[in-house]
Amino acid sequence: MFEEIFDAALFDSATRAMIPILLAALGGMICERAGVFQIALEGIMLAGAFAAVAGSYLAVSWTLGVVFGIAAGMLISLALAYGTVTRRGDPIVLGIALNLLAMGLTGFLLPQLFDVRGVFQHPRIDGLDRIAIPVLSDIPWIGPVLFDNTLLTYVALLLVPILWVFLFRTTIGLRLRGVGERPLAAETLGVSPTAYKYGAVLASGALAGLAGAQLSLGNVVQFAENMSSGRGWVAVVAVMLGRAHPVGVLAAAALFALAEALGFRFQGNGLPVQITDALPFVVTLLALIIARKRFARLLDLTTAA
Amino acid sequence: MLERILSEVRDMSRRAVMSPVTFSLLFAFALAAAIVAVTGGDPLAAGEEMVTGAVTGSGLRNTLGRAIPIVGMALAVSVAFRSGIINLGGEGQMVIGGLAGTIVAIYVPGPGTLIVPLAMMTGAVVGALWAMLPAYGQTWLRLPILITSLLLNYVARAITGYLVRFPLSDVSVTLATTRQVPETARMPKMPIFGGVSLSLVLVIVLVALLWMVYTRAVAGYESQMTGFNMRSARYGGIDVEQRTVQVMVVAGAIGGLIGTHLIIGEALRFIDGELVLAGFAWTGLLVSLLAVNRPIPIFITGLFFSGLQIGGLAMQRNAGVSWRLSQVLQAVVIVAVACRLAIRRGERPSGEVSEAESAAVGEV
Repeated sequence: MFEEIFDAALFDSATRAMIPILLAALGGMICERAGVFQIALEGIMLAGAFAAVAGSYLAVSWTLGVVFGIAAGMLISLALAYGTVTRRGDPIVLGIALNLLAMGLTGFLLPQLFDVRGVFQHPRIDGLDRIAIPVLSDIPWIGPVLFDNTLLTYVALLLVPILWVFLFRTTIGLRLRGVGERPLAAETLGVSPTAYKYGAVLASGALAGLAGAQLSLGNVVQFAENMSSGRGWVAVVAVMLGRAHPVGVLAAAALFALAEALGFRFQGNGLPVQITDALPFVVTLLALIIARKRFARLLDLTTAA
Repeated sequence: MLERILSEVRDMSRRAVMSPVTFSLLFAFALAAAIVAVTGGDPLAAGEEMVTGAVTGSGLRNTLGRAIPIVGMALAVSVAFRSGIINLGGEGQMVIGGLAGTIVAIYVPGPGTLIVPLAMMTGAVVGALWAMLPAYGQTWLRLPILITSLLLNYVARAITGYLVRFPLSDVSVTLATTRQVPETARMPKMPIFGGVSLSLVLVIVLVALLWMVYTRAVAGYESQMTGFNMRSARYGGIDVEQRTVQVMVVAGAIGGLIGTHLIIGEALRFIDGELVLAGFAWTGLLVSLLAVNRPIPIFITGLFFSGLQIGGLAMQRNAGVSWRLSQVLQAVVIVAVACRLAIRRGERPSGEVSEAESAAVGEV
């Protein structure tokens, strides 16, 4: 039974499920470190997915699709940065409104631009190529799972060590954390919190946009309404559970992805879709309960405001 | 004397024109028009269809009908937001309560005068029970309601989806749906504007009730104090934990009422996924934010947003512009208002915004 479930195919689908969550969560992590509450990931991911498909369709090339995805993500995050940093607006209100804006805008543009409802599929949409890394992809079992993947998969996985070095071993990273933890001290030392916060929010927009591109051009080659379906919120939880640390965030994203992949597998074994769909969210809730001592700050923010 | 009145009027009109809400509405409509133009539509024709569609013909009836769930869900949100509780689980509370009420309406025999109230009550109770999960999650386990209530929406969707697909499924149709609500157990329509659901009265009663609680009762004052500052409320002797659970129970109960109304008063079948499609919980949330969680402004704003959506549907039919534009409009209004002058979750005197808030934003 165990070997029947935990085979290479399961880890392959887990990897696929993990990459969008990981990319978005890494973006959320940078914001958290800079002291910006980022809950617009869900909407940014959705906008990224739509823009990626649109770009790929226009140019018949996934490269442009990815560029579009990043651009759309950064555009929405620019509104968030302006609202929270410059105008000192409520980050929760802005996050919720931007999520709904992305939902409405993609739902509006889908019939308006492509004359379809619900799902947009077209041979012109160029999906992300799988790029096999020589030698590594020949390793039995993990080779095909990890090293025969889309470019964005490698980007996401490499970003984990890169962001670790960036946050903890570079001056800019130190200043970013300083802005988040002791904004006054940072400002006294001549570090502009505004610039760092803008940078962090825009970076998270780019990453969540990439997450959307992976979703609509990598995992599948189509755009479906609301296709982010809660993954952005799971990413928000991954940031919390991973304590805004790259390795922790990776572990949390992997946990949820495994739950999603297991859900798919059980579906194949005859469990109803409705139950298996809920699995990642149930796992997320359980993980929250187990790691609950860590959320004092978010609780303070959302209750004592 | 006359001069004073004139200057007052001038002052008021200046404030109205300069108010962030006016600016945001203008901004949102301008942006929407630009989007329509860029994507190859005619913004003027679309706008005309939107206005006439919302009020002429059956438009007024539909606008009033759609205002029921929008205002209702906005009231549910406002109850929580006033106390500083970020309940994003309205959708789940509506769906779970709605299915429970529908089950009563379909399977419990009896006269309509008995079954309709019983179904509504069941919906309210089950919605409240579902809302207690994140409430106790916060008071016992210190899990933020913001996150848990939202995640539970997906769980609620899954549970109801499973129930209507399997145990409760109507096998005579191909859809995943319950049986139809029998004629006797349906919410009656009132003979005004060509038939508006009786639930409109319920919503108006809720508006009045909440207005009275907020302005006249100790509970309203206490929950508002909790919204301003939870620590000082606790220091002042308010049982914040108990208040959190109470507030979530009320919010969940309203959600369950609205969910039940949407089936026994409108759709008549609980079809898998249909209830969340229109996004009433989220529209309600935006309405409550724009109305700063006050019942009477919520009613007016809710009617306005309902008109936007009904007008949007007419625009889709007649001008070929997707009704989703209404959703874009609504979200842009909130983004713009939040950017101009931070909308706050609890009402606060406008003077003391700056320090505490900028600190809160900065220290997250």
